[in-house]
Amino acid sequence: MTISKMLLGAASLAMVAGLAQAESHMADTSGKRIALSNNYAGNSWRQAMLQTFEEIGAQAVADGKVAAADAYTTSENQATEQAAQIQNMILQGYDAIVLNAASPTALNGAVKEACDAGLVVVSFDGIVTEPCAWRIAVDFAAMGKEEVDYLATRLPDGGNLLEIRGLAGVFVDDEISKGIHEGVAEHDQFEIVGSVHGDWAQDVAQKAVAGILPSLPDIVGVVTQGGDGYGAAQAFNAAGRDTPLIVLGNRQDELTWWAEQRDANGYETLSLSIAPGVASLAFWVSQQILAGAEVPKDLTVPFLKITQDTLDDALATTPEGSVANVTYTLEDAQKVIADAG
Amino acid sequence: MKLFSKPWLWSWLAAAAAFAVTAALTSGRGGGELAYAALSFGAFAAIVGLGQMLVITLGPGNVDLSIPATMTLAATLALKAMGSQPGTAFLGLGIALAVGLGAGLANYALIYLLRLPPIIATLAASLVYQSVAIWSNRGLRIKPPTGLADFATGRFLGLPNVAWVGLALAIVVWVILERSVWGRWLLATGQNLRVARLAGIPVELVRAATYISVALFSALAGYLLASFSGGAALNMGQEYLLMSIAVVVIGGSSIAGGDSNVPGVWGAALFMFLVVSMLNSYGAVAGLRNVLTGTIIIAIVIAASTRRNRA
Repeated sequence: MTISKMLLGAASLAMVAGLAQAESHMADTSGKRIALSNNYAGNSWRQAMLQTFEEIGAQAVADGKVAAADAYTTSENQATEQAAQIQNMILQGYDAIVLNAASPTALNGAVKEACDAGLVVVSFDGIVTEPCAWRIAVDFAAMGKEEVDYLATRLPDGGNLLEIRGLAGVFVDDEISKGIHEGVAEHDQFEIVGSVHGDWAQDVAQKAVAGILPSLPDIVGVVTQGGDGYGAAQAFNAAGRDTPLIVLGNRQDELTWWAEQRDANGYETLSLSIAPGVASLAFWVSQQILAGAEVPKDLTVPFLKITQDTLDDALATTPEGSVANVTYTLEDAQKVIADAG
Repeated sequence: MKLFSKPWLWSWLAAAAAFAVTAALTSGRGGGELAYAALSFGAFAAIVGLGQMLVITLGPGNVDLSIPATMTLAATLALKAMGSQPGTAFLGLGIALAVGLGAGLANYALIYLLRLPPIIATLAASLVYQSVAIWSNRGLRIKPPTGLADFATGRFLGLPNVAWVGLALAIVVWVILERSVWGRWLLATGQNLRVARLAGIPVELVRAATYISVALFSALAGYLLASFSGGAALNMGQEYLLMSIAVVVIGGSSIAGGDSNVPGVWGAALFMFLVVSMLNSYGAVAGLRNVLTGTIIIAIVIAASTRRNRA
């Protein structure tokens, strides 16, 4: 054994010991104030996200974990407006900003100012590229690929697929679509014969699918990005076509529809999306950083998957008209940090 | 050629061309299906488009930017009140129209009492409406009652019910504009506000009625759209802001006001759906699709306005 290897071993041992003792060495955060800077509130996912943050924040304040956890949302979904909001947060003396950003790059200047002023910035969902900030990202490409992998297990003979994309020009849309196309390249029994933009909204997806359906051959599966599966099902139904295998995105109306179809004709599918509760994870990560924990700059959060077996549980816990959710705890955050370390 | 001088002709020609090109791809099979989908989805754009047309007819600077927020608020409150219970469809309609009436009055009050330009007044008001919609139901999607959903997605004599509603409204608007004294007053106000006032036309009454009409149309469209697509969503009205203005302009109404065009609005509404379907069917990527849609719209507007100038 060489000296360097021994040193490495000793270092990792020390790290493990350090992690175990982390709790006791941590600084008290009861005087710290955390703010949420959010760029958009106009859909059910964002509403669930804000609600989770408010609940977990109120609880954390009541428990004396932090002094304040306030949520702020910009009205126009503009990067300039959000940059001004971040500057206000610096002036208001917050210790950390949890950030769902309007743009991955346009807020970098404001984020840098916050870092220079000694604030901790944790971005999630809509992440920022500024190196001083932390990022809690979802592997969207893996999510897209998983959809096709699932279709391959259910439809080994393959066939024609319809792809419903999100909002054109948004990073998340490109990533999920990239994953879907990787999946199709791997499972070459599938072919994407049509692609429309549903803007993550049921009514827009319904309209786009209704417009392209007449020109399409038989469709065996629909790959989606979330918030668009129910609209697609409606469009297929209106056109008098057989319902294909539609991958869903955890919205309550989609899950209800799935349960109805399952009870009526044994319909089976998969539903996956990011839980809006990722805001609570970002909150606890920022609390851990304030407490002095060593946290890597890039963290990954798993997506929330609902299968045939967990459908009834998911439906029971999802409020009507909302989206399936998980609230992350301090322990979950510590586990995500440890896994990334 | 008298026919070619009709500015509404171009939107119908464009819609027919987009239809033919898309239907060609389906080798005739999907033609009926496509036409049915175009009538269903075109109806919503036509209803808000008719409202926007009345406002734009009022003359330069008149436009209603609160259409999406009014749609969302009316649909959200109506569906919440109905709570998916059967037999509440008319209660929901009443609430939606009451919201429309309120929004129209509020918009006009801002314009008249505070002397705000309509663009600013309706934009500011729309932020309030959208916030009330968020606050009232936090984006939860409540299903419409089954009977109402069946009506909104159903058909009568082979045409979608929502298209019948849109058609009936178009006829009412056309009759009012072309055959009633109110229509004359509206056109006169749009052509020259000062002259109209001196001629004894109650211009403020005309303006008030117009801003209330557009809000009522938006509320109705929101109510129908939410019933059609299985619930109100906070972003449901978003695409109808530019859509409502586009169908007016493509339909051959003058953006400067004083010259409206009812048949053109329907043609343009069908065209806006068909052009996206056509480009989707031919596999155009999003960027190319937007560029082509923009180019085609500019071409139609040029065609329609050149003909009008010569006529």
